[in-house]
Amino acid sequence: MSTSELISDVASRPARRGRVSTLVRRSDTALIALIVLITLVATATLSDFRTLSNINNLLNTTALIAIVAIGEAVVILARQIDLSVGAILGICAYLVGSWSGHVSGPFGPVVGVLLALGLGAAFGLGNALLINVFKMPAIIATLATLSIYTGLQIIVNNGSQLYLTQVPKWLAGLRGNAWFGIGTFIWIAAIVLVVVTFILRRTRFGRDIYALGSNPDAAVYLGVKIRVRTYQIFALCGALAGLGGLLYTSQFGNVDATAGNGMNLTVIAAAVVGGVSLFGGAGTALSAVLGALLLGEIQNILELTRISIFAEQTLQGAAIVIAVAVYAVVSRRLRRPVRREAFLSEHPTIDPAAIDAIGGTTNG
Amino acid sequence: MARVRQLVLSWEAGLVVLTVLIVIIGQSADHDLISSFNLQTTALNNVILLCLALGVAPVIMTGDIDLSVVGTLALSGVVMGDLMSHGMATGLAIAIGLGIALVCGLINGLLVVLFDLPALAVTLGTMGAYTGISFLILGGLAITTFPNSVVSLGSSNLTGTQIPFCVVVVLVIAVIMAYLVHFTTWGKSLFAVGGSRKAALFSGIAVNRVRIITFVISGFLAGFAGLLFLGNYETAQAGMGASELLPAITAVILGGVSAYGGTGTIPGVVIAAVLLALLQSALGLHGFSGQGQTMAVGFLLIIAIGAPPLARSARDWWRRRHAGVVEIASAVTGESKGGSAGSGEAVRSTAVN
Repeated sequence: MSTSELISDVASRPARRGRVSTLVRRSDTALIALIVLITLVATATLSDFRTLSNINNLLNTTALIAIVAIGEAVVILARQIDLSVGAILGICAYLVGSWSGHVSGPFGPVVGVLLALGLGAAFGLGNALLINVFKMPAIIATLATLSIYTGLQIIVNNGSQLYLTQVPKWLAGLRGNAWFGIGTFIWIAAIVLVVVTFILRRTRFGRDIYALGSNPDAAVYLGVKIRVRTYQIFALCGALAGLGGLLYTSQFGNVDATAGNGMNLTVIAAAVVGGVSLFGGAGTALSAVLGALLLGEIQNILELTRISIFAEQTLQGAAIVIAVAVYAVVSRRLRRPVRREAFLSEHPTIDPAAIDAIGGTTNG
Repeated sequence: MARVRQLVLSWEAGLVVLTVLIVIIGQSADHDLISSFNLQTTALNNVILLCLALGVAPVIMTGDIDLSVVGTLALSGVVMGDLMSHGMATGLAIAIGLGIALVCGLINGLLVVLFDLPALAVTLGTMGAYTGISFLILGGLAITTFPNSVVSLGSSNLTGTQIPFCVVVVLVIAVIMAYLVHFTTWGKSLFAVGGSRKAALFSGIAVNRVRIITFVISGFLAGFAGLLFLGNYETAQAGMGASELLPAITAVILGGVSAYGGTGTIPGVVIAAVLLALLQSALGLHGFSGQGQTMAVGFLLIIAIGAPPLARSARDWWRRRHAGVVEIASAVTGESKGGSAGSGEAVRSTAVN
């Protein structure tokens, strides 16, 4: 490659990056459009849907799922997976609910939130420890800790339940409170979204995560400290699951030993439906939130129309498959012309029709 | 000599040693572990898990995963139960149920292979879809009356013995699977595909067909597990068997099948299932409750998968310490850089040994 070619190659890069960013924006905008469409149809046809209490309920539930899904999305972005978030959420819901009662006064909420984040992060670090020290694949390590944490959850609960009357007032009232007319859950989810988006987009940590997710081997050669990042990623995911546990206590009122069961698959589903690639490296924190919102909305509408509460799982499952299929098809189609153009610009003497004639082998 | 060494150091031999240890410790603590009644109960409790694990093992060997087996189990079980309760001939109902299970597996395979989608996401989705359809069929109801033939398949013993009939059936399936995986062309291609899909394709293996067949087998065996469930628990309800998913995958991984594909044996999976069953039974007899048993399974998984690489790196460290010259030499040639990359490889080779 001559110098001039190199320069022209570098010069052509911004155009390509622009294309990639429009692609990301397009998959998000498509999802937003779908959500808006469903909302409009539901608002127009269902009188129960447009009541304030229903919308509050929907958004609260979604906020809880979204917070945990953002953490899971960060893990998936780095081409790892965490199957233990449900159990972490369950343990934190119980422990934070029962321990934060001992701290009274204005510092109660601060201690409670720090406790939730800290406990969750500790469990997340446990996962990372297994992955780093025992060299286990994340899916097996977190499968093992799912058993262990679930067992721990049952031991911690000791057969009892935590009721809303036993938790401190600030925690019990968290769900009903609102600042400037918007529920606290939504504020918390928004803060988490903004912070994680900032971390992913503007910090070295964020860039390292995308590098690890796109090509772990290359990332290591680039100097990404994979072990340190693994600890951080799982700690972040665990901390957000812990925060989810705090909200869970407030949302559902009573916490028993099954709290958070089945949450694992829901948050992975939310991330995947939102467009976070299970192969890592593609997706944003917003994707996870949009995925959670779409799934939450579908569930809400099914409950309201009473078509059948049993159809919920079918539709949720179908949504995952369809979402994955659509993203795969779209990304493949969008990737194709880029390569073709790049090939043609590198070989200006080749007639584009000739490529079509031989079956478009350059399209890969 | 090399062959003996290979056998002694094999993953399966390690599992057998662990199993024997558990039996010795468990038997000395509670003398009921090896009683025929306890063995019979333990076998009946774990036969469905083994059936699912046998189906999932080839899928994981090719580097995919199938989470939808519990959905398939529930759907085919519910369909069989529903048809039988409506008076359909037992044989026909079973055939339809197993046929549905085949189709479920085929759908997974086509979605994953032809559309080139991640198996984890697809089977996560179809797990919900299949379970949901079984909910749509039965609602919240349960079917509890079944023809005698189904019940006796699930819970009767071989005549004159205390060996449950279904255990024998599943062991026969295990032998068939072992033959298919280790002695046929399809079986050999499993490992080639799991090792490197591209290399397998370039060596002329019909990668797509091999992968789709693994999903179909997985679906079929999940349907058969559904039939056993009906006979064993005499109940068919939506979402049945959902708790069997993680133990089944645990048995496969513990059996030496790498989660990345390319390694593992069917006997290993069978031994791992026996090991898990005996461990849980021993703990249960000693008064550990369900959560204690669950946690023990988690720890066992960590020890089994995590200990060999840890031991290897400890050995490397020890050698390096006692052979400083080698370290310097390798540092000069830059070989020590390969250490971290090699450790990832070590995880894979564990199961091969």
